[in-house]
Amino acid sequence: MKQVKQLLRYPVVLVFFLFLFGYTLFDLTQTDREYSEFENKYLAQKPPFTMKAFLNNEWTQDYEEYINDQFVLRDDWITLKSVCESMLLKIENNGIAYGEDGYMFEKFTTLSGDQRAQYDRNLGYAMTFLNNHQNDNVTFAIIPNAYAIMPEKLPAGLEQIDQLGLIQEAYAQAPESAGIVDFSGTLTEHKDEYIYYRTDHHWTTLGAYYAYAQLMQQLGQEPVALSGLDGKTVENFYGTYFSKAKKFDAQADTITYYEIPDAGVTIDGKEQDGYYDFSKFEVRDKYAAFLRGNNGYTVIKSGVRTVEEEQEPSRILIIKDSYANSFAPFLLCNYDEVHIVDPRYLAGSLSQLINEGGFDEILLMYNFSNLVTDTNLYKLGY
Amino acid sequence: MVFSSILFLFRFMPAAFAIYYLVPKRFKNFTLLVLSLIFYSWGEAKYFPVMIASIVVDYTASGLIESHRDNKLICRLGLIYSVVFNLGMLGFFKYTNFFVGNLNALFGLSLPTISFVLPLGISFYTFQTMSYTIDVYLGKVKAERNIIDFGAFVVLFPQLIAGPIVRYTDINRELKERQINLPQIQDGIKLFILGLGSKVLIANNVGALWTEIEAIGAGEGFLSISTPLAWMAVFAYSLQIYFDFSGYSLMAIGLGKMLGFEFPKNFDFPYISRSFTEFWRRWHMTLGSWFREYLYIPLGGNRVSKSRLYFNLFVVWAATGFWHGASWNFIFWGLFFFVFLVIERMGFKQVLERHSAFSHVYVIFFLLLSWALFAVTDLGMLGDLFTRMFVPVGGVDWIYYLRNYIVVFILGTVLSTPALKGLYLRLEKNNVFCLVFFGAIFLASTAYLVDATYNPFLYFRF
Repeated sequence: MKQVKQLLRYPVVLVFFLFLFGYTLFDLTQTDREYSEFENKYLAQKPPFTMKAFLNNEWTQDYEEYINDQFVLRDDWITLKSVCESMLLKIENNGIAYGEDGYMFEKFTTLSGDQRAQYDRNLGYAMTFLNNHQNDNVTFAIIPNAYAIMPEKLPAGLEQIDQLGLIQEAYAQAPESAGIVDFSGTLTEHKDEYIYYRTDHHWTTLGAYYAYAQLMQQLGQEPVALSGLDGKTVENFYGTYFSKAKKFDAQADTITYYEIPDAGVTIDGKEQDGYYDFSKFEVRDKYAAFLRGNNGYTVIKSGVRTVEEEQEPSRILIIKDSYANSFAPFLLCNYDEVHIVDPRYLAGSLSQLINEGGFDEILLMYNFSNLVTDTNLYKLGY
Repeated sequence: MVFSSILFLFRFMPAAFAIYYLVPKRFKNFTLLVLSLIFYSWGEAKYFPVMIASIVVDYTASGLIESHRDNKLICRLGLIYSVVFNLGMLGFFKYTNFFVGNLNALFGLSLPTISFVLPLGISFYTFQTMSYTIDVYLGKVKAERNIIDFGAFVVLFPQLIAGPIVRYTDINRELKERQINLPQIQDGIKLFILGLGSKVLIANNVGALWTEIEAIGAGEGFLSISTPLAWMAVFAYSLQIYFDFSGYSLMAIGLGKMLGFEFPKNFDFPYISRSFTEFWRRWHMTLGSWFREYLYIPLGGNRVSKSRLYFNLFVVWAATGFWHGASWNFIFWGLFFFVFLVIERMGFKQVLERHSAFSHVYVIFFLLLSWALFAVTDLGMLGDLFTRMFVPVGGVDWIYYLRNYIVVFILGTVLSTPALKGLYLRLEKNNVFCLVFFGAIFLASTAYLVDATYNPFLYFRF
C-alpha cells in the first residue's frame, strides 16, 4: 500500500509503465492480419525460425518487420503520423508530394544510377522487340505520368525529371517500321479535364479514352464516341499514392467505367464472366476491377461487333502494364478480339504467341515510371 | 537492436524492465548481463563470440595486472595484451578494407578486401574496455574480480552501441551498490522520451532532406542542384547528426537512470559554441575526454615544447577523425578541427571572446563545412558539393524543400539552443504538463516508427 501511494507521486513512471506493459500485452493478444486494405499491401507474417537465417541476421530483420506490420492499431498509428506531418506543415510523405487541387505526385527528382541502367535496359528490350517484329504492324507508346502533363499542379519548386524529353529521345531510337503514337500532345490538350487520378498513379478512364481515340485515328479507324457509351461511376477511390502517403485529409477520386459488351473473356486460359471484377469496386484497391487486375494473357471477344462467317476476326494485341487496363475495353468497338499480355505475369513465350495469333495490330504501351522500374521486360525478347 | 524501433519499445523494453525490477538485488547484474547479451546478439548473433572474447580478455588482463602489482614486466604484458587485442579487433574489423584499398591504389595491387559488416558498437566498447585496463594498470582503480559484474559493465545495453563512452570509473560504485528509486526512474523515463523524440521526430524528419539531396549527388551529381539547396542540405545534415547522436545519448542516459546508473553527459548544446575549443567541450564530450585522457596526456599533453604540442594535437585530431569512420574524409574532418584549434590556441580565441556575433557566425559557418566533409565519403562528390556551395548557381528547387522543411528547421534550430530550457525546467515540475508533454512525444514517436520509411542508424561506421 505504501508503495502504491509512493508510485502515485510519480505519475510519469506509473503511466509510462502501465502504457508500455498494457499496450504490449494488447499487441500480443491480437491475431495477425494478412492484408492491409488501408495501405493496399500484404503484411509481413511471422517468419519461421531457422538457425541459418538467424545467424545471417535475416530472421531478426524479418521478425522486426513482422512486429511492425502487425502492430496493433497500425492504421491508426499511421494516421496519427499523417496528422503530425500536417502539423509540421509538410507537403510530402513517403516520397509522395502534395500538389495543387488535391493532386498527389510521386517524387521523381533524379534517375539514380540503378534506375538509369534499368531504364536503358528496358528501352533496349523494347527496341529489340520493335526490330524483331518489323512486319507485324507494331505501334509503340510511352505514357507520361501526370506531372509531366500538368506540371503547373506540382508544388512550387519541385523539379522532376523531364519525362517528355526522355520520351522523345526514346521514340527517336525506334526503327522506321514501328509506328509511334505520342500521347503527350493529346493529353496536354485535355489537361484541364479529369484525365489523371489525384490519389493514384494511373490515368483516368477519360485519359485512357483520349489516348485510345488518338491511336485509332493514327491507325485510320473511327474511334467510338464517348457520348454513345454507357458510363458508370464509383466514388471514394483512394489509389496507390494515397496508400503510400496516407494523407488523412486526402480528396478521394471517382472511377468511371464503361460496360462495352463482350462475347467471352479468357484470362490465362480460364473463362471469366466479364472483364470487370465488380467486387473490387467495393474494396480499397478499386483499380484492380479493370481487366480483373494484372494477368498474364487475357483475351476478350467483342460483343458489339459481328464477325461474318468464314471471315477471320480482326485482332489487336496489347503488350502493356496496368495503364492499359482501363484503355483496352474501348478497343472492343474496333476489333473483334482484343488480346492483352502483361509480360510480368506471362508464363509462355511472347514471340510464339505473336506468331500463332494472327494479329492485325500490335501495341506496345508502357508508362514511363514502369519503364524505369519494371524488371520483366526482357520477356519481350522471348 | 536499436532503441528507436517498435521491437525495442514494445518487446524488449517491457520484458527487460519487468525482469530487472522483479529479480532480487543480488541477481540484478547477472540479469543485466544476460539481457544485454540478448540485446547485442539480436541481429549480431555471429559476433557473440567477439563480445565474449572482449569481456574475457580485459577481465584476465586486469586480473593479471592486479595480482602481479610488484612485477612491472607482467603488468606491462597485461596492458599490452589488452591494448593489442582491442586495437587489433578494431583495426581488423573496421580498418582492414581501408588499408587494403589504399595499398591497392598506391601500388597497383589487387589484395582482396574482407566482406563482413562492422560489429555493432565495436568502436565504443573496445575503447571502454581498453581504458578500463589502462586505469587498472595506472592504479586508478582496482580490477574487477567478479566476471559477471565486469561483463555487465562491458555489455550494459543502454550505452553499448552508440555511446556515451562510459568508463569503468564512472559506474564502478553503482555496479556494486545502486539504489533504484522512483525519482531516478522518472528522470530516466523523461530523458529517454526526449531522446526518442530528438531521434525520431527531428533527426529522421530533417535527415530525409539530406538523404534525398545526397541521392541526387550520387545520381546526377551535386552540380545539378542550386546553391541555396546545397546549403540547405548541409544545414539539414547538421541538425540530423546533432539530434540523432545526442538523441541516442539521451536515450542511453535515460535507460541508465531507469536501471539505477548515472552515465556521464555527452552533449551540452554544442551549436551555441563560440569557438571550436568550446565546441569540442560540448560535442560528444565522453569521446573528447577519452582522447584527452588516453592519448593526448600520455603523449605529453600541453606540458611540452610548442612544436611537440602541435604534433600531439595533430595526432589526437587525426585519430579522432579516423575513429569516426575508415575513410579519408573522416581523417580530413578531424584535421579540419586540428587547424582551427591551433589557430584558436595561437591567439584567435581572444578575438572570438571579444566579438560575440562574429564568433557564432565563425563557428556555424565552418561547422557546416565540416559536416559536409563528414557526410560525403566520396572525395569527388565532396568537391562537387563544395563547388556548388561556393560557386553560386540560382534555381527554384530550394523553394519546395524550404516549404516542406521550414517548421522542422525552426524547431531544430530553436531546440539546439538552450532558449527553451528555463521554461522547460519550470513546467517540468508540473505533473499534468509532464503527462501531456511526454505522452505526446512518445505517442508521436511511436506513430513515426510504425510508418517508418526513413529510420537510419548512422553509427554503423563508428
